[in-house]
Order: sequence, then structure tokens, then C-alpha cells
Amino acid sequence: MIDVDSLRKEYGGFTAVEGSTFSVPDGEVFGIIGPNGAGKTTTLKMLAGLIEPTSGSATVAGYDAQDAEMRNYLGFLPEESPLYEDMTPVSYLEFFGDLYDVPRATARERIHDTLDRLDLDHRDRKLGDMSKGMGRKVAIARSLVNDPEVLIYDEPASGLDPLTTNYIIEFTRELAESGKTVVFSAHNLFHVESICDRVVVMNDGRIVARGAVEEIRAEHGRTEYHVYTTVDIEGAVAENGAYRRIVESMDGVEETRELAAASGGEVTDIQTHTPSLEDIFLDLAEESPDVEGRP
Amino acid sequence: MKADKTLRIARWEVSKNAGQLDRRTLAAIGVVLVLVAALTPLVASKGIALDDGIYQVGVADDSPYRGPVANDSTFVAVEPDARAFRNGEIDVLILPGRPPVPAPTQKGQAAISELRATVQAYNDDLMGFERNRTAAFPVNVSLRYVAQNVSTTGAGTDDSEPPATTRPTDEDEVGLGGGESGGGDTGGETDDADLQATSRPTDNGDEIDSGESNSDGAGGESGGGDTVGATDRDAGGDDGGAVGDGPAGAPSVGSGSSLFTDQTRGGTPADIAPPFPFESLVLAFAFVLPMNFVIQAYASSILNERINDRGELLLVSPVSRGDIVAGKTLPYLVGMIAIATLTALGIAGLTPAGGDAPLEIVSTAAVSVAAVAPIALLFLACAFVGGMFARSFKELTFVTVTLSVLLTSYAFIPAIFTDVHPIAAISPLTLVVRALGGGAVPLADYAFSTLPLLLTAGTLFALGAGVYREEDMFTQRSVPLKFLDALDSQLSSPRSLAKLSALSIPFVFVAELLAVALLFALPVSVSIPALLVAIALVEEVAKSVGIYAGFAHERFGRSARSIGWLGFLSGLGFFVGEKATAVAQLVGLPNLELGRAAFGTVTGLGIQSSPLVLVGLFFAPLALHAVTATITAAGASRDRRWYFGTLAVATLVHAGYNLTVVSYLG
Repeated sequence: MIDVDSLRKEYGGFTAVEGSTFSVPDGEVFGIIGPNGAGKTTTLKMLAGLIEPTSGSATVAGYDAQDAEMRNYLGFLPEESPLYEDMTPVSYLEFFGDLYDVPRATARERIHDTLDRLDLDHRDRKLGDMSKGMGRKVAIARSLVNDPEVLIYDEPASGLDPLTTNYIIEFTRELAESGKTVVFSAHNLFHVESICDRVVVMNDGRIVARGAVEEIRAEHGRTEYHVYTTVDIEGAVAENGAYRRIVESMDGVEETRELAAASGGEVTDIQTHTPSLEDIFLDLAEESPDVEGRP
Repeated sequence: MKADKTLRIARWEVSKNAGQLDRRTLAAIGVVLVLVAALTPLVASKGIALDDGIYQVGVADDSPYRGPVANDSTFVAVEPDARAFRNGEIDVLILPGRPPVPAPTQKGQAAISELRATVQAYNDDLMGFERNRTAAFPVNVSLRYVAQNVSTTGAGTDDSEPPATTRPTDEDEVGLGGGESGGGDTGGETDDADLQATSRPTDNGDEIDSGESNSDGAGGESGGGDTVGATDRDAGGDDGGAVGDGPAGAPSVGSGSSLFTDQTRGGTPADIAPPFPFESLVLAFAFVLPMNFVIQAYASSILNERINDRGELLLVSPVSRGDIVAGKTLPYLVGMIAIATLTALGIAGLTPAGGDAPLEIVSTAAVSVAAVAPIALLFLACAFVGGMFARSFKELTFVTVTLSVLLTSYAFIPAIFTDVHPIAAISPLTLVVRALGGGAVPLADYAFSTLPLLLTAGTLFALGAGVYREEDMFTQRSVPLKFLDALDSQLSSPRSLAKLSALSIPFVFVAELLAVALLFALPVSVSIPALLVAIALVEEVAKSVGIYAGFAHERFGRSARSIGWLGFLSGLGFFVGEKATAVAQLVGLPNLELGRAAFGTVTGLGIQSSPLVLVGLFFAPLALHAVTATITAAGASRDRRWYFGTLAVATLVHAGYNLTVVSYLG
């Protein structure tokens, strides 16, 4: 559904995206994560045809991303979605339905159905009088007004309260389950981890890691063992009346047990710590960007 | 572009903005519109009568003065009460068999002067109804108005007659000078830098009537003689309507009053007022005034799309940039045209100088609207660019107010000289003034005054649309940098630089016309050198700013070869486009000395030399443009300071060339 090959974007002397290459098959939820300025939004906008790449190519739904025809198959949700304050949700959505040549009756049915699913009331209220969360729901409804095959959502839950955020994340999951291809970026890595099939991690315009979350964890994550003893040994720190020593293998655990025994003590507890995507992301962000992604 | 998408966006633009108006605002707008609709025709037909009823005149019902007093709204007729007169309640007292007596106050003196003029006008009217026209107007004066050529060497001056400004003038010529007949052919009339006033005995009454003219003087025959009836009889005072100290003439017969009023039936040459089309100008201004308000709303709508990336969702929809820009512009253009149409119909219907038949009214209105439409488009184009370049509403206000003043000046100031000076030809409002005055509007005149505006508007829309994309429209760059972005968006290769230079021609042409309009009133010894430098600067900027934009965006190489190539391409594009200014010949603007200075170097007008020299002069501008563009390209390739330095050098070289050519042309 989406093919990106050696995508590069340069602004003057600044390179925003460098040599990105990835594919997203039909029906997959694909996440792009990275710190601010990593190139996530520029990548998404190049996929949406808003920004022309300096080099490389992006194909969406079989069309070049710069082809206006592609936009008929795309639903795009930008990070900020300021609406036209003096319109009502329905008139706003109907206008976009018109632009996508959706028959008015179909558009009206689809609009109300989507707003029902998003639990959005007050449909005659002006958009300027709505809360940010309600406005975000209208923006999501707009991205669906043409029943697109591909959805590109840039920080869909940005700046929303936890309740609305969870609601929108769940809604996005439902969209994916209904067969739509979703490309998704978010700062909150918990959300990415919870709904994305695969992710790429970007830093300084380059992709530094890719794959399923578990694959990335296996490749870039380190399992830690926290071993607690009754006596102070080398490398341990006092914690709550005990001593904790962190090791990264079972050999380390055995070594700790021997050290404790030699000092007249014993091991009282062993805890296993699996790194979250956020831990991996932070590690990668601190590392050199040369992990992957060089053209 | 797709028409259906454009119309959908246009409809949305209307409905979106309609939502901004609450009922109270709509009601207020409605009231204002009703008031304007009610007052405009009133003002158009009667003028603003601030002096209604300011003078009290004591006059009996059977007094011969009763008629004039009753006919003039300035006066209020009251009983001729001597006590009231002494108490200062009456400004002029008219007792039976005695001349009018003014109150011993300044107001009384003003009242008696006004009464004197009113009586004279009243007498003129009476004379007009006299069956024996020969008796009423025994002397028939034929007046022929011609252009006053301010030049002493203008090409249009008839060699057989000395230029007007170098001739001694006599009283008649002073009285008639400075104007030409309404609707007169400007280009043709310049050949006669002479004023003529002849008297001949009246052959019949019909000839006397043929001298009627409308109030603004625009109804005169083109190049022909206007014949006015005049009388040498003096019952109303042969001071010809001048306010004197003597008693007011008895209202029976007489002369005086302006020859250019609707009521005129006769008068003396001394009464002739210059044919200044004040009324038509004021009415023409009514077309331009609403545009200043409409562009505020339009520019705000454009800027609103750029605030917080609001317009991004339109850009990601299956519509083109052209659809969006056209759709957002269309409602405002239609609104402007609708306002202009209503205004034109109202004015043409209430002041039917061109005839009061419905077809004539519609015809006059159609000409007016056709002339105003390019102005409206240029207003919108400038507002669009302003909306695309400004970073905030505060900055936008500054931009739009500046544009409003400039554009209104461009349209309005030259129109003041309608049928007085050839400079009027550059403004479409001149066509409106002529149409409202019942004059003809030749197609060539229409093309000359409107094509530069249409081409400029097109260029500005293209520039603005060039940055109507995600990468440019949401950035917070300064207006000059946005302008460079817009230029850069039109550059795909060095060759496109030639196209950009050629596209700058309409803008250059309008800027040069504006310079001519601003400088033409100065003495030729000052205005021509200033104009030559101004024109050189405008053209050098037009040629080089695209090159500078390209270098600023790292689009071009900076080698000497590249610089030379860029300079040549820019010069070539400009040279090709510049030849289009030959359209200036259509209405003879180059016959104006300043016009020759502005455009003669391009068109080769008035040059009488060998074919080889003519060919050389034809291609010399190409060499000039290529050389000067290369100079500025060299500066632009380094930095801004170098660019401005080389721009100054190129301007001086260019001005020197212009001065040489103008001197050669004589």
C-alpha cells in the first residue's frame, strides 16, 4: 500500500529527512517514532503529497505521492488541525465531502455514522465553540469523509486529556481492524507499542531502527536482572535494608550469589526487567544515528 | 483547474464567512446599505446641498424677483418686512420698484451676491425659452477646445503654430485655456496647440441650441466646435455673472452663469468654466471606494488560511492550488463586479449624460463595469499577494492600506485629467468618466488602460499561487523573504529566468506609468532626468530580483560563466517582453514629452534615421539589458550588500543609456 524509497528532503542546507526507505502493506498499523526534529512530520507530509521530496520516491495506494489523484485514497490528520471556527461540524464535513466528490447523501450518512462512533454531540454548535478534544474528533471525522484506504495520522492524540486520548487510540485501532492502512506517529510510545504492528525509529532525519516492537526490543533492548542480597558486595547499592546488584545475564546472577555467600550472606530476591520501547528509544536517540538508514 | 471544484470552494468561502456575521451585524450592514442606496442617487442627481435655505429674502409674491428666489433652494422667501430686516432676520430685502438691499452684514453681502448670480441664471433660462432665438442670442460664439500642450517640443505640435505655452496669451485664451472639449480625441487634438474663439452672426436659432453642453463638459463633440449662444445685451449686468458691487439685475433678460450647466441657454465667453469633470470623477470614485473594503475581507481570508496551518487540509484534498485560489477569489470578484454594476446602473440612470433610454443606460453601465473590472482584479491580486506574504493581521493591515492608497492613486489621479491631459489615458477610471459623460470609449483606449492592469494582476496571482503550498505558506518569514520565495517558486531552471523577466513587464509598465503620473506636473527639466533614473531603477530591479532570489535559494551556480548566462537570459526575457510596451503607441501617450522619455527608448518612436541605425537602436536595449543584468547578477551571487551596490551601478549605466537615447531623439 505504501512504498518509500530513499526519501530525502532538504531545506536550504538543512537535511530534514535522509534516505528513508520502508514499506507498509495493506491493513497494517505502522508507527513512526522519534524525538522532536527527527523528521517524522516531514516524512508523513511527503507521504501525503504536501511536501515535495528533494529526491527519492513515495508511492501511496499505487500512486506517486505527488499525484493529486492519490489524495482521493488518503485521509490525512495533521498534528494541529485548526478548524474553521464559524462552521458547524456537519457543514464543515459536508464541504470536504463535496471536495472528494462524495455524493451528498452518502457523505451525510457517513458523517453522522462517524460522529456517532466518535461520540460527538452538539453537531450544530460552531467549531469555534468546541473543546480541543471535540475539535480533534471532527478532524478525525474529516479524514474519514472519503472512506480512504490509507490513513496518515500525525500525533492524533497530541495535547488531549488521557480519557480522550485513549478514546482516539481505541478508535484508531478499530479503523485498523476494519482493514485500513494506518501510518501513525506519536510521542507517547505506549500508544505506539499498543497498536502498531511495526515501527521505525527516526533520529536526526534518519531511520535508526525498524521492525515489530518485539524485534526491536530483541535487537536493541537489554534484559536486566536485579539481584538483592543481605550483605554488601562489589557493585551493589543499598536499597530498603538490602543490597541490589544489577547484572545482564544469568552468569552475572550466579556470580552475585557466590560473592554474597563468600561474604556470609545470601541472595534474597531476583527481579527481571524487560526494557520498554521508550527505554530503547531513549537509548537509540543518545546513540549515533548510524545504526541504520544510510542510503 | 476544475470549474466544479472552484465553484464548490467559492460557495464554501461564502458560507464560511457568512457564519462570521451574527444577526446584529447583518442588520447593521443592511441599514448601511439601504442608506447608501438611498443617498447615492440623491447625491448623484442633486449633489450635496449644504446651503439649502441659508439666506432669508424678503420679497413680495408679485415681485419679479419672486421667481428666481423661489427657484433657488439657497433662499427662503419671506414677507418683505422692514422691521424684520432691521432686526437682522432678513438677509436681503426687496421692496416694490426698488433694487434689492442687502443687510449690512457679511452674510447680507454674500446673500446679495448669490441672488445676483441666481437672477442671471434665471434670466438665461428665460432667454432659452424665447421663441425668437435670434433676438435672444444675436451673437453666436463657436468654441473649439483643444489640448494645451505643455511641451515646447512635443511631437504632436503643429509646426505651423507656436506651442501654446510660448505664445503670448490674450484674455480670451486665458479664459478658455487649459482644457479640451469633453469627449474630444486626445491624441488628435494635441496637434493643435492653439486656442480658437471666433464670433459670427447667428444664422438661425438651431445653431444656437447646438452649443448645449452637459455639466462636466464631457458631452462635447470630439474635435468639433461647440456652439454656444451668447448675448451682448445686458439687463442682468454685463459683468458676465461675476459678482460685483452693483445691484442685482432685474430678472427679465440677460446673460451669465456657467456655460457648462444643464440650465445654460446663453452667456458670455467670460463665463466659461474649465471642463473639469468633477461630478463624474466623484461618481467614478464611488466605484473604487467599495473595493478598498472588499480587499480587506479577502486578504484576511487568505491570511486566515495561513494561521496555524489551517489551509493544510485544503492542500491535501484532491483539488489543485489553482482551484483553491480561484475559488477563494471568485466570490470577492463577483461581489466587486455586482457592486460596480449596481453603482453603474444607478449613476447612469440618474445622470443620463449618454441618454436616458434603457439601452443607453445599460450601455453606459456596461462600459463603466468593463473598465472597473480590471481595477477590481488588480486590487484582489495585490490583496492576495499581501495575504500570502504578511505574517500577521497587523502586518497585513499595513500592506493592504499601502496597496489601497497606491492603487486608488493610480486609478484616480490620472482620471482627474480626463479630457485635459493625455496622462489620463493610463487609468480605466478615465473611461468611466467618459462613459458617464456620454463620451465614446474607443477599444484602443480600453486596451491601453486595462491590459497593463490585467497582466499585472495575472502576474501577481501567479506569484502568490507559487507560494500557496505547504512548504511556503505556513512559514513565518518576512515579507521581502516571502517575495523572494515567490520568485524562486517560478524558477525551475536558468531558462525560466527569461520567462520571469518577461513576466515582470506588466508590473514594470504600471510602475513606469505611475512614475509618469507622479512626475508629469514637474518642469520638464526636472521630471525627465528623474524619470529616466526611476525607470532605469525599476527595470534593473525587475531584471535582477529573480536572479537574486535564485542565488538566495542556492538554485544557480556562482561561476563567472553561470553569472554571464543568467544575465543574458534575464536581459533577453526582459527585452522580448519590453517590446510589448509598444502598446503605448495605441493612444499616443508617447506624444507626451514624458511618455516619450518613458517609452521612446523602447519603441523607437519618433526616430527618423537610416534603417541600419534603426535596427541598431532596436537591438541596443538587448545589449543594455544583458550587460546590466550581468552586473547585478555578479553582485547577487555574493551577498545582499553586493547586490544593492551592483544594482546602483547598473541603474546608472541604464539611466545613462536612456539619457543618450532621449537626447538622440531630441
